[in-house]
Amino acid sequence: MLRLLITRLLSTAVVVLGVVCLVFLLIHLVPGDPVDVMLGENAQMADRQALREALGLNQPIGNQLLTYIGNLFKGDLGQSLHSRTPVSSMLLERIPATVELALVSLLVACLIAFPLGIIAALNRGKAWDKTAMGVSLLGVSVPNFLLGPVLILLFSISLGWLPVSGKDGLASMVLPAITLGTALAAVLSRMVRSTLLEVLHEDYIRTARAKGLSHIRVVIFHALPNAMLPIITLLGLQLGVLLGGAVITETVFSWPGIGKLTIDAIMKRDYPVVQACVLLISITYVVVNVFTDIVYGWIDPRVRLGDRS
Amino acid sequence: MGRLYYLFLIFIFLLLSGCSDPGSQSIRFALASTPISLDPRYATDATSSRINRLLYQRLVDFDGQFKMQPAVANWHKISEKHYRFKLNASRGYFADGKRLSASDVQATYSYILDPDNASPHRGSIQLIDRIVLIDSLTVDFYLKKPDPLFPGYLVIGIVPQQVAVRKQSLNKKPKGSGGFDFIAWPDASRLVLQRKTDKQQIEFVYVHDATVRALKLMRGEVDLLQNDLPRELVHYLGSKKEISLHHLAGNNFTYIGFNVSDPVLNNPTIRKAVAHAINRPALVKYLLGGKTRLANALLVPEHWAGLKNAKAYDYDPELARSLLQSQGYNRNKPLILEYKTSSDPFRIRIATIIQQQLNEVGIKVRLKSFDWGTFYGDIKNGRFQMYSLSWVGIKNPDIFRYVFHSQSIPPQGANRGRYVNQKVDGLIERAETSADVASRSQYYRDLQKQLLHDLPYIPLWYEEHFVASRNNISGYRLAADGNYDGLFMAVKKYR
Repeated sequence: MLRLLITRLLSTAVVVLGVVCLVFLLIHLVPGDPVDVMLGENAQMADRQALREALGLNQPIGNQLLTYIGNLFKGDLGQSLHSRTPVSSMLLERIPATVELALVSLLVACLIAFPLGIIAALNRGKAWDKTAMGVSLLGVSVPNFLLGPVLILLFSISLGWLPVSGKDGLASMVLPAITLGTALAAVLSRMVRSTLLEVLHEDYIRTARAKGLSHIRVVIFHALPNAMLPIITLLGLQLGVLLGGAVITETVFSWPGIGKLTIDAIMKRDYPVVQACVLLISITYVVVNVFTDIVYGWIDPRVRLGDRS
Repeated sequence: MGRLYYLFLIFIFLLLSGCSDPGSQSIRFALASTPISLDPRYATDATSSRINRLLYQRLVDFDGQFKMQPAVANWHKISEKHYRFKLNASRGYFADGKRLSASDVQATYSYILDPDNASPHRGSIQLIDRIVLIDSLTVDFYLKKPDPLFPGYLVIGIVPQQVAVRKQSLNKKPKGSGGFDFIAWPDASRLVLQRKTDKQQIEFVYVHDATVRALKLMRGEVDLLQNDLPRELVHYLGSKKEISLHHLAGNNFTYIGFNVSDPVLNNPTIRKAVAHAINRPALVKYLLGGKTRLANALLVPEHWAGLKNAKAYDYDPELARSLLQSQGYNRNKPLILEYKTSSDPFRIRIATIIQQQLNEVGIKVRLKSFDWGTFYGDIKNGRFQMYSLSWVGIKNPDIFRYVFHSQSIPPQGANRGRYVNQKVDGLIERAETSADVASRSQYYRDLQKQLLHDLPYIPLWYEEHFVASRNNISGYRLAADGNYDGLFMAVKKYR
């Protein structure tokens, strides 16, 4: 297991380094000069040149990349070109909000998807199946920028139950989490349905029923655990996407997450912030991937024992 | 089990909904963009500049006719290149209890002039040769060359001397002597200030989406919002009895810019044809409304150098067609132009309507929208035929040199259209060196008439300002340049 982890970490480091280099080069190729955006047109040529030198932007791109990687190894993510605040503090401000929203959205997705998927699988071909899958299709069809304001109109304005936007307490997380969670639930419920359908015809399910176990116990304690592997994979992928930031939802609900920070930094050509956000997102995917593998081993003894042998 | 599961969900929902209470004793002001820096030596965006006016004091300000007037200092012109500023009784106190003094003024402007500090405001005051401290209230500015508009450049917030000398950053922790104290800026979405006179807290809440901003005002989660709403939302808020709307004519100038070095657009007849093809009154009536006014020049008519009763380019599609035909364009050989705009949805909407209006006279417009960085880079580097933008909060006529002088082609200035006219250069230079206000204002008026004739820009309109507030807010007054100084007097009645 340890050797596996070390191998995974090494290959991960290579992948992350490759992503960072690629994004570094691409963002510098995009038209638009951050010095112009910072100083405006009123600045003199000498001032622009001085700022370019101060920021290291006059160096050849290869040198800039090497300097950036060198600083990364020292844990220095640099300073925002615009707000002149350390990038690390900007990220630390945003990461907790992103993680909270991601986890709660995933919880909402599971709370919707598992019942829908189970109902659909147990009533295959019947009205319940079609209704459940129809509801999940609705969830993925309605875009976030529409669902968000509609939920606000209903729950915040008409009913007055929940705040409109912002991050201010537990209640403020409900609407953004539902907005994100319903889209995720759509895909997840289909996966739950299809994997359960495969498992429900297995011999051990027949045996469990023959032993007199209740329907619910058979589904929850025998069928579902065996159907979990592909669901765990999907959950891991969805968690990775969420932790990378949900830009539209963050914009609609003024949620101070990583997604909006990344987009704003790209618009402003704030190179250090863009690079740091991309680095964070790629590391997040990798960590979630490793975590998913660990969960595989925990859930499925065959993976654990196969490893040992 | 299923029933228990759903009861649990309902319980959680009710628990969370009990946590939602829009009431607050702060006056909550919704912002469309978050401030970037609370350091006046570096802030260039409009939101930061407006908030910095609350936190810091400045030497000079402008009156309703955009004439320079004393703010925290009175000035005396000793010679063409020598000004003396003396601080007056309105100078305030910094958070450490020290009163604003001449050494703070000297330190602030010296910091900005130092090229090592890379302040974006250095360019606007680079004509200062040296700053001499006379006493604790008096400071002298010596200039490299005469400029009668010089006092109007000294509008930057004054920071404490020790901050400037130690090169401390005030981006996140401002230290000003203005009418408001900084309380907290915990994250990008929330900034809290406190009014010194009565300890009233003002909370700036960043809400990017216009619809959500309006809904927050409806629900009472914010108390005020100013500008940055599409007209249909302004109408929607105006129809609600719990919301009050106030409008004011503004001076933000929206225009279409031409690249006059382009082989097609260097022909003034073509530019005039485009001007006559645009139905500005319809755009203002249906898209903007309120107190938005048609513009004929960069400066508003009430400006001391403004052009009154100018002859506008009326909407006349027949005239536009005949002008195009006279240049060889017709239905079989239409004029094709490329129109660039930013990705701002409102700007795209305007551009789409103009595209359709030009199409009606036979001009085919290829509309291209880009993110701000790409768009700005393109217009600076002359990679465009026509574009639309706005000049925000223009007070000083030095804008004319910046935008229209032949020496101001980027990167030297903002003459993005590469407009070169020696007569215009001469008028700008004579205005700048003119000793008296009357002749200076006449030169600027003649200049604006010439620009209206040559059309490097098609003036579109001066956008209005509006404020929407909950009915328990009173005393907030709009300003012509859209600043937030109304917060000095705003009062909130509590339930």
